[in-house]
Amino acid sequence: MTERDARIDRLLLGQEIADFLYREAELLDERRYREWLDLLADDIRYWMPMRRNVKFGEDEREFTRADSDINWFDEGKDTLARRVKQIETGIHWAEEPRSRLSHLVANVQVQGAEPSFAAPQQVAVTSRFLIYRNRVQTETDMLVGRREDCLQRNGAGWLLARRKIILDQNVLLTKNLTFFI
Amino acid sequence: MSEPINVRDLVPGSSVVLPDGAVAEIVTNPGDGMWLFARYLTSPRDPTLVGQEEMVFAPDVVALGRPAAD
Amino acid sequence: MSMNGAMNGRRGYRSGLVNLGVGEISREIFVNEDIYAEEQERIFARAWLHVGHESQIPKPGDYFVSSMGEESVILCRDRAGRIHVFLNSCRHRGMKVCRYDEGSTTVFTCPYHGWSYGTDGRLVGVPYFREAYHSRLDKEKWGLVEVAQLSNYKGSIWATWDPAAPTLSEYLGDFTRFLDLQLDGWDGREGQAEVLGGIQKWLVPCNWKFPAENFSGDTYHNISHRSVDLAGIGPSGASRRDMGERDVSRKLHVCIPDRGHQTILYVLPAGRLPPPAYMNAPIVAEYFRHCEEERRRRRGDESRLIGAPGEIFPNTALLSRQPRTMAAWHPRGPHQTECWRWFFVDRDAPSEVKQFLRDYYIRYSGPAGMTEQDDMENWNYAHAASRGTIARRHPYNYDQGRGTAVADYEYQGLRVPGEVIDLTEVQSSEQPMRNFYRRWVEFMEADDWSQLATWRSRTGRSGERKAAE
Repeated sequence: MTERDARIDRLLLGQEIADFLYREAELLDERRYREWLDLLADDIRYWMPMRRNVKFGEDEREFTRADSDINWFDEGKDTLARRVKQIETGIHWAEEPRSRLSHLVANVQVQGAEPSFAAPQQVAVTSRFLIYRNRVQTETDMLVGRREDCLQRNGAGWLLARRKIILDQNVLLTKNLTFFI
Repeated sequence: MSEPINVRDLVPGSSVVLPDGAVAEIVTNPGDGMWLFARYLTSPRDPTLVGQEEMVFAPDVVALGRPAAD
Repeated sequence: MSMNGAMNGRRGYRSGLVNLGVGEISREIFVNEDIYAEEQERIFARAWLHVGHESQIPKPGDYFVSSMGEESVILCRDRAGRIHVFLNSCRHRGMKVCRYDEGSTTVFTCPYHGWSYGTDGRLVGVPYFREAYHSRLDKEKWGLVEVAQLSNYKGSIWATWDPAAPTLSEYLGDFTRFLDLQLDGWDGREGQAEVLGGIQKWLVPCNWKFPAENFSGDTYHNISHRSVDLAGIGPSGASRRDMGERDVSRKLHVCIPDRGHQTILYVLPAGRLPPPAYMNAPIVAEYFRHCEEERRRRRGDESRLIGAPGEIFPNTALLSRQPRTMAAWHPRGPHQTECWRWFFVDRDAPSEVKQFLRDYYIRYSGPAGMTEQDDMENWNYAHAASRGTIARRHPYNYDQGRGTAVADYEYQGLRVPGEVIDLTEVQSSEQPMRNFYRRWVEFMEADDWSQLATWRSRTGRSGERKAAE
């Protein structure tokens, strides 16, 4: 394989993964939650830690830990599906009427592919998000941060196997998190 | 005028030189970049200070002295 | 209690805004800027406020930055192991001496001019003390402002700025046993709680009294949570919690008059253990089954008390079972509240139990909590609707169940203190809100604690006390 071939493999995979993330964002913004759930692996772990203001050099204290600490989200597909179910009742008042959402996904970078870029089965990808939410009349929120995702091959497509969401907030500036990030 | 020194991460046991030439050993570093708790090792201006502990303000550290013993 | 003439014509608090005689409260109390400012002086500067838990500051030098009313405070443990709460503000020119959320330190140093304070609050470092101050600054007078009183009750840390306030014990009165439900072990041992790492903090655009009155015991708004019941997030897979123990119990509103504390409470029949719960996880179900037996063995009849939402005046919310959490509703102006949540487990519970509960707590409470989300929506828009010129002319209705509370309630041999309404048949009442706002009025009108500590003058005449409206 030439160096050019390797670069082409990376380029193609990068575009394929970015397309996956864009399509995922569109499903959420179009409120096609059932189809979004179908993009998740059955054993997905969906985690958004809370952040603390910590002293320089004490980075280990900055994020709440998965599995043991309180986080904003730290859950699997069952709970995520129940969130969708709750919205679909039409009487989840925090999301009824439903919000208008735009997920902007940027800075997509494939960090690694196993076993290879040419024939990947698992991909690690990071991206940044800016989520604009507008609801009812003038309520507007913007959430910005980074995602660290693991995708796994599913036939010709991909499933989201792990997502860690790093939100750039300490005190949460929005009254609720009724939407997916 | 000496270059400013960031005292934040100076190691206890190392020593610092003060404006009058006194040398003090760091006992505790609170890590605030502003203060050190230090004990006078030498004090030519006032030898009675030797052995006494004092809070040293960061701008008064004009030079680093001996590093902490291993 | 009527106001003197000087109060009339003021734009802020005035008598008549809260009219418990007919069960009406003006919308004004939620949105008025002057009333809000008066609350900071009359309530938050005088009452006992919840600051944190000792398990957050286990070692000397540990600190946790908290809030008392609007103001940032530092909860810390000094070198000798003593717990303090200080105003997070340099005595010299006010800069915060700590802008980290938590950690461990030997001193708190102000970034502005370098004044430095020990963890006991004493001013220890003053740049150019000899030169610029000519050694004349009395450092003893300029330490960090410390709360007037601090109390560690079974690990929970409470503080007040008012030296004249009664002790926490007296402040809580008969409500203490309901705080016990929050802090004691699931198996009935005293004070076994620890706080899970990570304190949730989030902003809601509403007045602090909306969440405070909700947690006082709003039994009427269950319908608002129907969607989460349908989603079935409960630990046995249905609804939002295990309802078995509630279904077999008497459901009560318990209000401690004179204190302004109140709670929903369930009381099991005599000799009855709670039905099985936490059925999604056999290890957890078995753990709690064992705990309930131990609790009955240790506490006897007292173990029949089943905790539910409650509120300690002014702004500390309790919920001791499913989920187990305390909240503080910090005022951030009349139109905004910063909600903080602490979540509890027994410190020696098995890790599987802690992890299971943690998962449940997260999906139930807080801004990502599928139950609490609907509360915030209601508070947000109820507050917004309270602001209008026309809207403010129309008071809210707090009339439900007025005049039906009884003193000396007893169920199968277990006496419950305070003024109680048995809700089992009537479903709901607003007695807790009336109790809360009666106390609110007292704080807004009282000049000092001689007027606030009204229980001291009730030296048990006949033991009978007419249940208040």
